[in-house]
Amino acid sequence: MNRTSEELLSRALAGDAAAFGALVRDQQRSVYSLALRMLADRQKAEDLAQEVFLRLYRNLSSVGSVAHLAFWLRKVTANAAIDRLRRDARYEAVPLEEADDLPSGDAANADPLLERRLRQLLQQLPPAPRAVLLLRYQDDLDPTEIARTLNMSINTVKSHLKRSLAMLRESIGETVP
Amino acid sequence: MNEDLDARLRKALRPVDPGEQFTQRVLTRVANEPKRSIPRVSKTTMRWASATLAASLVLGVLAGHEWQARRTQQGLQARRQLLEALRVTRDKLDIAYRAVNDKDGSSTEAGEHRGS
Amino acid sequence: MRFRQILITPAAMLACARVAMGATPGALNLPNFDALTQKAAQTVDITLDAALLGLATGFLDSSKPEDAAAKEVIRGLKGIYVRSYTFDRDFAYPEAELAKVRKQLAAPGWQSLVVVHDNRAHSNVDIYICMDQGRASGLAIIASEPRTFTIVNIVGAIDLAKLHALEGKFGIPRMQLDEKK
Repeated sequence: MNRTSEELLSRALAGDAAAFGALVRDQQRSVYSLALRMLADRQKAEDLAQEVFLRLYRNLSSVGSVAHLAFWLRKVTANAAIDRLRRDARYEAVPLEEADDLPSGDAANADPLLERRLRQLLQQLPPAPRAVLLLRYQDDLDPTEIARTLNMSINTVKSHLKRSLAMLRESIGETVP
Repeated sequence: MNEDLDARLRKALRPVDPGEQFTQRVLTRVANEPKRSIPRVSKTTMRWASATLAASLVLGVLAGHEWQARRTQQGLQARRQLLEALRVTRDKLDIAYRAVNDKDGSSTEAGEHRGS
Repeated sequence: MRFRQILITPAAMLACARVAMGATPGALNLPNFDALTQKAAQTVDITLDAALLGLATGFLDSSKPEDAAAKEVIRGLKGIYVRSYTFDRDFAYPEAELAKVRKQLAAPGWQSLVVVHDNRAHSNVDIYICMDQGRASGLAIIASEPRTFTIVNIVGAIDLAKLHALEGKFGIPRMQLDEKK
């Protein structure tokens, strides 16, 4: 457990705005990225991410530890994005511009067109399977953690993963072994 | 093949940072929030506060102060609840306003007028 | 996406008779949702009668845009009641209780203002207004989504234009990206 993050959390709980700001900086990448990949719209993602942190500020006393903080943020972000997608009558899939991407450290093996295609295909998934895939491949959670975050059964998580990956493989032309 | 797709997905879904301005925008909104009225305090501080309060009651000096503090807390809570209520209301109204103002959305959009 | 809109023209508003349930025009009898509090992931349960609205007014800071806007909106109001519950799974809330509230809105006096139904997303927003001698005396919003339902009842001389003017002050900044905060 990161002692510095624990100290930030304690100070934020005591009302230290700078400490809360540091917590936001630590966690904003994960929260914003999840919102961005779910909603496929930078403005909506920014809106949602801001709202999540505002909710965090209001409910900070219910977050017991840094580990719980990460779980709490993912849970609120993923579920809020799912709700938003279901509610938004004018949802449109907007291809994300390359400017959103950070430079990869592995430039030799980068394939930006394929990566963009994968992100586009992700937007074709319904909200729940999309969230499952993002938590798996963006946040590196295992199925048990994903199930807990989204309040699904592990079997449902695995089923979503299997079907989503099959769709992706078929769409980008890979054959299933 | 599976590992290749896994690796490609991880690369395609690299986290994206919203930038320093994002943090500032969040903090600006936080600054407009009402102060948290029940901050977590250490046990030592809690014991100290309890002893002080007990002494005040015995002397009977702070009876009026207590009433004022309670009134203030009630008022701040009412303000907090009011702002939250208006936020929720505004959020729901916005859905309806957007649907009504939507000119080129659904092909099934239809307007009916009812009433006499 | 499919939605249906029903609009009421102001000239068509009927006078508001005293509603059968509730002594005050524009006020609804809200069900007791205490049992849901344990099951819900998030709860917003707000009851502000005239006294509490008056108390809150004294603590609003006119120098803050949000507070100033709130002060304008609640002028003349007699009560604001919000019940909003969010769950971790779909349709975990009792639809029958929402139906009871909707039934009250079928009583004389209440008029449907806007109805938004999104069949694909299973979400609905119904907005009703109660009119008394040509003036609004109450507003009711019933919104439901698979994991959330919300009931808002505002009693008193509600000004929809002022409510709408809250945009940008309470929620997330909308399309005006250059708006300063």
